[in-house]
Amino acid sequence: MATAEIEVPTQELPSLADANRDISRPISTPYRRYWLLLGICGVLIAAAGVAWALQIRDGMGRAGINNPVNWGVYIVTFVFWVGIAHSGTLISAVLYLVRSGWRTTINRTAEAMTIFAVMTAGLFPLIHLGRVWYFYYLVPYPSTRLLWPNFRSPLVWDMFAIGTYFTISLVFWYLGLIPDLAGLRDKFTGLKKRLYGVFSLGWQGTVKDWSHYRRLYLYLAGIATPLVLSVHSVVSWDFAMGIVPGWHSTIFAPYFVAGAIFSGIAMVITITIPLRWAFGLDRYITKYHFDNMAKLLLFTSLIVGYSYGMEYFLAWYSADPIEMQSFLWRGTGFYAGPFWIMVFCNVVVPMSLWFKATRNSLKALFVISVFVNIGMWYERFVIIVTSLAHEFDPSAWHVYTPSLTELTILVGSFAWFFFWFLLFAKTLPTISIAEVKEHLAHEHEHGH
Amino acid sequence: MNDGDVEHSGNETTATAEGTTRREFLKVLGVAGAGAAAAACGPPDTGDKLIPYLIPPDDIVPGTSVSYATLLTGAGPEPLAIHAQVRDGRVIKLEGNPSRPTGGALSALAHSSLQDLYDPDRVPGPRQRTANGLVDATWEDGIAAAGAAVAGGSTVLLTPPAVGSAARFYQEWAAAVGATWMPWEPLGLEALRTAHGIAFGIDAIPTYEINSSDHIVCFGADFLGTWLAPVEMGARFAAARMPGHGVQARFSFVGPRLSLSGLKADEWIPARAGTEVLVALALAREIASRKADGRAARVESVLDPFTLDSVAEAAGIEAEKLRRLADQVATAKAPIALPPGIAAQGPVATDMHLAVILLNYVCGAIGSTVKFDGETVRPRHVPFAAIADLGRRMSAGEIQTLIVAGVNPAYATPASLGFAEALSKVPNVISLSPHADETTSAAGWILPSHHELESWGDGLLSRDYMALAQPVMQPVFDTRQREDILLQIATAAGAADSFQAADYSGYLQGVWRELHDRLPAGAPGFDDWWYQALADGGVSLAVPPVTDVAPPLTAAAANYSFRATAAPADFSLITYPTVQFYDGRGANRPWMQEFPDAVTKAVWNAWVELHPETAGPLGVETGDLVQVRTEAGSVTAPAYVYRGIRPDTLAVPLGQGHAAYGRTAAGRGFNALDLLDGTPDQRSGALAYAGAAATLTATGQRGKLVIMQGSDVDLGREIAELINIDDVPDAMEHEIDLTTLVEAAYDSDPRSPYRWGMAIDLNACTGCGACVTACYSENNLPVVGEDLCDQGREMSWLQIMRYYEDTEEGFQAVHFPTLCQQCGDAPCEPVCPVYAAYHTPEGLNGQVYNRCVGTRYCANNCPYKVRRFNWFTYERPYPLNLQLNPDVTVRSKGVMEKCTFCVQRINRAKLDAKDEGRLVADGEIQTACMQSCPTQAITFGNLKDPASRVSRMAKGARGYRMLDELNTRPAVTYLKSVTHAAMPESEHGHGGDSEHGD
Repeated sequence: MATAEIEVPTQELPSLADANRDISRPISTPYRRYWLLLGICGVLIAAAGVAWALQIRDGMGRAGINNPVNWGVYIVTFVFWVGIAHSGTLISAVLYLVRSGWRTTINRTAEAMTIFAVMTAGLFPLIHLGRVWYFYYLVPYPSTRLLWPNFRSPLVWDMFAIGTYFTISLVFWYLGLIPDLAGLRDKFTGLKKRLYGVFSLGWQGTVKDWSHYRRLYLYLAGIATPLVLSVHSVVSWDFAMGIVPGWHSTIFAPYFVAGAIFSGIAMVITITIPLRWAFGLDRYITKYHFDNMAKLLLFTSLIVGYSYGMEYFLAWYSADPIEMQSFLWRGTGFYAGPFWIMVFCNVVVPMSLWFKATRNSLKALFVISVFVNIGMWYERFVIIVTSLAHEFDPSAWHVYTPSLTELTILVGSFAWFFFWFLLFAKTLPTISIAEVKEHLAHEHEHGH
Repeated sequence: MNDGDVEHSGNETTATAEGTTRREFLKVLGVAGAGAAAAACGPPDTGDKLIPYLIPPDDIVPGTSVSYATLLTGAGPEPLAIHAQVRDGRVIKLEGNPSRPTGGALSALAHSSLQDLYDPDRVPGPRQRTANGLVDATWEDGIAAAGAAVAGGSTVLLTPPAVGSAARFYQEWAAAVGATWMPWEPLGLEALRTAHGIAFGIDAIPTYEINSSDHIVCFGADFLGTWLAPVEMGARFAAARMPGHGVQARFSFVGPRLSLSGLKADEWIPARAGTEVLVALALAREIASRKADGRAARVESVLDPFTLDSVAEAAGIEAEKLRRLADQVATAKAPIALPPGIAAQGPVATDMHLAVILLNYVCGAIGSTVKFDGETVRPRHVPFAAIADLGRRMSAGEIQTLIVAGVNPAYATPASLGFAEALSKVPNVISLSPHADETTSAAGWILPSHHELESWGDGLLSRDYMALAQPVMQPVFDTRQREDILLQIATAAGAADSFQAADYSGYLQGVWRELHDRLPAGAPGFDDWWYQALADGGVSLAVPPVTDVAPPLTAAAANYSFRATAAPADFSLITYPTVQFYDGRGANRPWMQEFPDAVTKAVWNAWVELHPETAGPLGVETGDLVQVRTEAGSVTAPAYVYRGIRPDTLAVPLGQGHAAYGRTAAGRGFNALDLLDGTPDQRSGALAYAGAAATLTATGQRGKLVIMQGSDVDLGREIAELINIDDVPDAMEHEIDLTTLVEAAYDSDPRSPYRWGMAIDLNACTGCGACVTACYSENNLPVVGEDLCDQGREMSWLQIMRYYEDTEEGFQAVHFPTLCQQCGDAPCEPVCPVYAAYHTPEGLNGQVYNRCVGTRYCANNCPYKVRRFNWFTYERPYPLNLQLNPDVTVRSKGVMEKCTFCVQRINRAKLDAKDEGRLVADGEIQTACMQSCPTQAITFGNLKDPASRVSRMAKGARGYRMLDELNTRPAVTYLKSVTHAAMPESEHGHGGDSEHGD
């Protein structure tokens, strides 16, 4: 990736000491604003918790789902968060392997986002379960009934795919944190020192440490890379393996992976811009980084747009009246609104990124990324709900509208995600100090 | 007496004694204890015990149902011989008495009688109305008060039409206490009876043998749903409509609105409301002129004015269509015309019936397909006009005491008559009704009587069969047998000497003793005979065969001057009874409220049907509120846009809009009778349910009408199939290629001797919904209520979808029972992460409730959409919970459920077979739906047995599988519906089937 010549950082390069101080500053300074945000998240999480508790007490009927639309906002949001979780690995592992320099300042945030997004996504299969108290039936454990889960079910694949993804992402993230944790250990005293000390695993920064560290990081990047493709492919198979018209399609895996990267990058942009502003990291996360992310966004938007077109082409080409009716209805029926919101947000709006001026305007980029986030939520809504609402037997058709319980839990999921993110931003360096310093050292050495 | 004695007692006087094995006999066990029919003694059963008996009575085997044969008279228009399945002292399921011609078939309303028995809103004991409202009272006080009132004179006893000994009892009771007995049926047969009186001078209801007819012309009677004898007529209809035996009767429907029955017609002659009489006369004239026989000559003069063209003009139909119908009827071998029934019963009801009688007369149906067997078995009742008159007398203060038992005139008469107000003018109103309905709510004393299933009784089912009713369980509430209450009242009124029997069961036995005395010598003793009758549900009577089945036409009929009704300026209004509510008695039964109406598929409400051409200009869509106004009143209700109604006609269902009756009926819809002015037909005194002039206005507001069907058409997906009769392949069997057979064999375990399958004949299905309610009853399906139905959360495992198929000139409905197809390669099974959905060795798609975690993936992946998820835990207020079938798990929230072909019945039969070291025989297992079907549209059995009925039907030429292209290999084969109507060429250009004929 010949990114270096496109955009040269214009600001003065920070010194290595600046990097240490700037990046770890938020860890020591509490703001009132921060507590307020954390409080809002807490309240919203509590509201969602109450909604879930009532749903467990009364039954799934508190959600708006019905027969035939048995999956609604919960699964939509699940897929949405799994998608968000995607860019972390992409940025960390894939870009690491291809030696893309621009990942350095955003990979920590992206990885953290991945972890929190998976933690959020992981809640939804539970929330959506009719009898959540028996969730462990899905786990292959040696039960006295000698029953295993059904390994033919995409839901079981899903559990393994996401479990694997979470584990690798967590280890990868943690490994990258170790040098920085050691730095923090050295910076603080008292309890903090001890805590950071424990988690830095006795890092001394010796050449031997670095050598092992680098080797492991590379291996993990290698292991994590296929997961970028596998996780969302498996999630897409939840649908593609079903026979529902609108789901049963071979393009789903690449389509979903592209969509996931699309939404993931959008979320990284949505988060990094305020973070950069709030923590004063302008000198570290620069337009150069945003320009690159915008290009990736544009690229994946084109893939997603192509997939939308391809779905319609395949429906027409199949000459299957049921498939055709399903897609015709998707764009013109009860859910035409969500469908066109999806097209507008995911295909039309990102086209403005062809212009350099748009890519260089953080405000524009922020707005576009929010549009993409909304659009990608609607994409999953359109795929899941419109397909289920109009299946094979016309007499069984029925539409679905989300209930207050579902919307509360949807909002709560964002609060839960940001809650973790806020904790992260306050306790760990949001940019990899070690990597930045390495990068800076390189830059200082060679000038430009 | 022991069982051995009973077994011995069978002889030729009983219909079923011969060949009855001991085992069968025990299954159909009568009451072997002296008089104590009820299975249980002890404290009231609240349903909170899994096993009701700690120490069961000797004759009860825990976990085994006992069938008690009895009689149900209050479940719709016909009396039904039934078997009540009693488990541990609770009746849990009703089935038709298999020894009767209609077998196990029942109607939806009959099934729901259980919810009438277990209605939580029943009056739980004697009540007295005081200044403080209703208060608990004692039976002694109530009987004494009633006795004093009756002794005061000027008493009227109002009951439903009484069959059998009860009629005699009521007459004797009325004579003893000096009261007037008025048996009344709101949806009665008075006009039909009167017309036959005029035509033939006899008091009779004929038997309509449509099964041996080749052309049925119906002038409005909903004979498959609500008129005369729908269960029996359903069986006859199916027999008439079986294609493949060379003929299928043509069915033409004349009238402004297609009812449940009308939707099955090959051709619809949409005559304006009230002009059906003219159409019948014109047809009769046309046929008479062609036949020119003696019969034609007799009625020539009376028919002369009714030319085809003038009638077509008046009826608003094409003369050509009418002429073609006349041609068809004239050339038919055994045509039959069916009368107007209730839905077409207008202000000149008698004339309309008489016109149909004349049509039957000229086309030779009288005596061939319309048979009179002398004395009618249908109980007599007073006409509506008599009730209206009673209301007037009550208002005038002429009635001192009114005893109401089991009828509800305050609801079932038009409000404009003011019967409810007239009740307040009667000093003593005593209700013996089990329900706190509108009439009972006005009573000073409520002395609640038993439900039928708790009562003794009897009744003629046909000329040669006398059915016996027995209590099948202990009373649920503190109630008494209706006749016993009357006896006690008579005693209190000082007329004790008139009756020898101490109670009604004794009285009944006395009557039966007389019957026994008439038996030829050599008959068994009374006790043996009586217990055998109890076990069988009745006795066959030795009656001489009827010779005179075609009485001569009277001069009065031949010179009758037919009255006409003027067409209203705006709209004609039709009020019609529905399968689920009938005259309103179904309204407090949750199963019936949640029963999708056969025509509209609407639930929990009442609606106004109007034609799209009427709705369009008003901007009205289904669910919009419209106001219907007549001279008598107005209602505002949601519209239902219906293509099966004339643009100048509106139709509303009867039975809703209860002011009292119970929690389920409360606040549901409107009472259509509020729109009628209550003018009776002058000749018969029947209420005009049709033909009122009405106006329609759109309110511009949106109402709520929950329709349980998404799309009315299958969009060419070949789900519901209708073919022309000429396209029915000659070959009776498909050629099955070997691979299909091999594949199908692996749809179940190759070592299993069984692969359960079903065949559903869409041509036989009338959409009556008996199967749907049977399934609710058998499988403990919860009722979810209007709001959840609206959200698409109904729980019915079996739904009848009503698809419209276009014919060249119109359309026809194909009723499509949708249930789990038990796919050989089921999409639901592999996607379940926990094996809750799994394939049984016998090919069923099993569902393990305990294992289900509720991902609902299976339901998403089911192309037939037959899986039902428990969105909540649904409650059944006591005592409705007593009805639950202990063989079937009651599901709770978070669990997916579905039809498994009544797997509990399969397992029971398999255990029986295993005990006897054999395989399950063909026909041994009946699913609840199959058992209940009046037309035997459903066949169940073993697909691995090539000789089984279901195998033969599955391979039948009309067979196809729903969404076969998905290769799910369903175990359910549908048989295409067959019509005489020409089908459009573009659609249904048959792929495989027509090629078989080549």
